[in-house]
Formats: sequence, C-alpha cells, structure tokens
Amino acid sequence: MILEARNLCWSARGRPILAGVDLSVSEGETLGLVGPNGSGKSTLMQLLAGIREPSSGEVRVKGRRLAEMPRRQAAQMIAFLEQQAETTEAITVRDAVELGRTPWLTPLQPWSAEDDRIVARALADADMEGFERRSWSTLSGGERQRVHLARALAQCPQILLLDEPTNHLDIQHQLSILGLVARLPVTAVIALHDLNQALACDRVGVLSSGRLVALGTPEEVLTIERVHAVFGVRVSIVSDPCDGTRLFRFRPLA
Amino acid sequence: MSQQAYVSRLGRGALGFAALAAAVLAGTCIGETPIPVLVVLQTLANKILGAAYVLDPIDMGIIWNYRLPRAIVAACCGSGLAISGMVLQSLLRNALADPYLLGISAGASTGAVAVTVAGLGAGAVSMSLGAFGGAVAAFLLVAILARAAGGGVTLHGTGQIVLAGIAGSQLFNALTSFIITKSANAEQARGIMFWLLGNLSGARWPDVWLAVPVALLGLAACVWFARALDAFAFGAEAAASLGVPVRSVQVVLIGLTALVTAVMVSIVGSIGFVGLVIPHAARFIVGVRHGRLGPATALIGAAFLIAADVLSRTIIPGQVLPIGVITALVGAPAFALILVRGRRAR
Repeated sequence: MILEARNLCWSARGRPILAGVDLSVSEGETLGLVGPNGSGKSTLMQLLAGIREPSSGEVRVKGRRLAEMPRRQAAQMIAFLEQQAETTEAITVRDAVELGRTPWLTPLQPWSAEDDRIVARALADADMEGFERRSWSTLSGGERQRVHLARALAQCPQILLLDEPTNHLDIQHQLSILGLVARLPVTAVIALHDLNQALACDRVGVLSSGRLVALGTPEEVLTIERVHAVFGVRVSIVSDPCDGTRLFRFRPLA
Repeated sequence: MSQQAYVSRLGRGALGFAALAAAVLAGTCIGETPIPVLVVLQTLANKILGAAYVLDPIDMGIIWNYRLPRAIVAACCGSGLAISGMVLQSLLRNALADPYLLGISAGASTGAVAVTVAGLGAGAVSMSLGAFGGAVAAFLLVAILARAAGGGVTLHGTGQIVLAGIAGSQLFNALTSFIITKSANAEQARGIMFWLLGNLSGARWPDVWLAVPVALLGLAACVWFARALDAFAFGAEAAASLGVPVRSVQVVLIGLTALVTAVMVSIVGSIGFVGLVIPHAARFIVGVRHGRLGPATALIGAAFLIAADVLSRTIIPGQVLPIGVITALVGAPAFALILVRGRRAR
C-alpha cells in the first residue's frame, strides 16, 4: 500500500468535518472521491497531502507516518493540486511551474539542466507550451488550473492528489487531464464532481457528511440506490450506443 | 547550474558590490563642505592600508569619524529595513506589510522615551538600549497576542499577526505620547520628535560594527530561504505542499526581521517607508523571484537611504532634516502608486 489513511478524523471548532475514514491506495491505482458539497472531500485531500494535521488517526506513505516525515521528503513523494490557489504576485507561467522543483532543490543544490527538462516536460503534458512567458494575471481560470497541474507534475511525484482538477476546464482539457493522469505511472487520488468521470477510475470512494460510506469499483459503489441516497437526485443508467459504456443521467427528485 | 550561469551571477554580485561602494563613497564626499573623491580615497588608504598621504587633518577627521561611518550605517539600515519589509510582504502575502507592522517602531519609541524622558534605568541605560528593549518587548507582545488569537505565525491565518501588530502599535504609540505629555519639557519633546523621525547624525564606528553583521545576517537569511519565499506565492498551504516547513520558516524569518528591525531602529530611530516602498521598487526592476529580489532589495535600500541622508544634510543649508521626512516625502507618493496599481491588478 503506497498510501493509507487510518481512522482519520478532523474537526473545526468542535464540529466534526471528517470522521473515521479508513482508506488504502495501492501503487499505480487511480482512486476517485465523490460526494456532495461539504462532504469533506477537500479536507480529506488536505489530510492525505499532509498540509493539515488530523485531529486523530494517521496517514501513512509507504508505511511511514506522514506527520513524522520532513515536509521536503513528503513533497518529493506527494504533489497536491489545490482548489483555487491564487496569487497577486506578478509571476509568469514558467515561474509558477518552476516552483514544482522546490522540494528537490537546496541552496547548495541549485537549478540544473535536468530541472529545465522536467519543467519543459510538465508544461507540455499540461498542454501549456508556448505560455511560459505569459503573466499569471492574464490567464483564464482553466489556464491557471493547467499551470497548477504542470507545477504538480514538475514535482515528479509518485502520488498525485488532485482536488477537482477539471474545474474551470473546457471539455477537451477535462478529458486530456484525466487521460494524462491515467497514462502517467503515478498513483492518483482525484476528488471529482462528475460521476461519469468517476466511472473511469479504478476505484471510487463515496463521502457523505464526513464519512466514507462506500469504497470499491465504480460498478459496486456507484449504484442507482446509493447515488440517489447520497446526492438526493433521481438517476438512470443509459448505455452509449457507440461502445456500450455505462452513463448516468440525472433528474431532480420529483 | 552551468558555469556560464555561475559567471553571470558572480558578475552581477561584483556589479552590485561596486554600486554599493560607489554609493558609500558618494555619501562620504557630498555634504555641507564637499570633499573631493581623491581626498576620501587617500584618507581611506591612510587609515586602512597605512599609506602616508599628507592631508588636512580636519578633512580626514570629518571623513573617517563622521561621514564614512554615517554612510555605512545608512547603507546597513536601508538594506536591513528593505529586506525585512520584503520578507514580511512575501510571508504574510500582504503588499502593504512593512517592518513596523509588528509593533517594533512603536515599542522602540516607547523604550527610548522611557529612558530619556521618564528616566528609566537612572542613566545607566543608553537610549539605543532602551529602544531595543522596547522594540523586543512590543514584538513579543504582538507575537503572543497573535498566537492567542489563534493565528500567529501558523499555517492558517496570517491575518491575525497583522491585526495584533496594529493593536500593539497603537498601544505603544499611546504610551509614548503619555510619557512625553506627562514628563517631557519642550526641549526633550523636540529631541524625541527628531529621533522618532530618524536621525543618522549620531552614527559612529561602534554602530557600524553592530549594523554591518545584522544587515549581512538579514541578507544571508533571505538568500538562504529564497526558494522557500518563492513557494509562498500561492499561499502557505501551497508552500507546505511544495515541501516548505512553513511553521519553522515563518518563525525563523519573522523572528529575524524583528531582530534586524529592532537593531536598526535602536541605532537610527524609526525611518518610515523604506521597508514598504523599496521591495516594491525592486520587484518592478528584477521581478518577483527572491534569489534576485533579495540582493536587489538590499542594494536599492542601501543606496536609497544613503541618498536620503545626503539630501537631509544638504537640502536646507545649515540645517539637518530628520531623514524620515525625506523618505516619507518620496515614500508617500510611491505608496499611493502601489495602491492605485494594486486596484488595477484586481
């Protein structure tokens, strides 16, 4: 198990946001996390990334406790794409992506040609080539999201944590990001809103009111009954006449 | 890094050092009685290299005992305050942060008046020491208040330290006014006023030996932590996910800026606007990456304060203006410019 969560709890001002989450992710797997707004997806992602400390429970990376790992070592293993990380600094796209190399550099181990190659590769993978000199403030929401993805890729992580990575993206880039994550030889945990996209993950976890209520393959977990119960919508399953892929269709209750 | 990059970095460093030396030299030459550069250089050769040029002993005295230490102290204060401002702006992600945000200048003034006016320490404590003590006390109070407010120098909520700093500054400024109103005579009040606005005329060699290492310490820290400071561009959480030990970096750097600022304020009084404006000017020139921004900020701050000091000595013949008046005359319009520009950027 490359990433494990044991009995993770987190509360804010005495109100439990996340309670008793057990989770393990094996190497190379893509795990999708779904759940309504406020179900604790982002909090779980932050705990898995180690940038919040759990109130109780622990996260282990390759068997080691994340809380005891130096931040630098943790960041060499795990890259985290947050929702809505913004800046008012006048930085360029290239500056932002170069930040991804931070965990691999020290004052005594400065920037090298290898770092240049990694950054160029990350920009290409996120389809942001040619944007290097553009200033952050001139980018659209989707372009910013892709720069953040490139920054995460430049970290050369073994584990990629993506919190709603398809937000703000047009449909072409939504598909290309998910395709890229599937192709890359990394373990990925992705918080998603689009249940049809979640169907393409290896496994899916469903969060509801801070609890992990189901975890398994998409077919086991994303049943009509469960989607109805957790999300409060009516669901029917249709199949694509082209290739027979299962798809959800949603309607409001009554 | 390639050899070429090393050479160009070395070249930039040499250029910066030359510019700094030129600024100090200019600060030494220019004054109410202008002294030719050659005489200044010959004096330096006599004093440092043991050369034996025959010079007017009065000129030599002015250069060696007054102007040179004054120019060096100005350079150190300028760079120290500018670096402190830059670090706080980056860490707190607040374009309007400056070194006095943490209550340091207010605390220093309270310490200074407590010693000179209220007679604290019964003459055994110098005004500088009193100012330093006040600065440290105010910073500690602000830090404790920020911590108690649940934010402080932690990952979530850098806002608290800004608010705590404002509260602390108000408190200590009120204490200063209270002491002055209660016990100072007109002469003392005028002297304190002058000191509060910044004054380099007391700078001598012992001050140089204090200011130089502290300024170098500040510069070294921001070069060492350059990448960590870069990583704060998208906020503390992003910095943490990039492998920066956010909490310890914040504690070390904020503690260090407090120390640098407290030392500088205790030597020259609270010179405003340098820490606020110079980092923004440096960002315009060299960009936002701290590897370059740190040294550039230090250099520009040093040159700016030497120039401001020269102006303060020469702008009104026969009278020395408080240096804070000059820096604020330049700083206030620049500050307005930042506000307008910030509004456009949103």
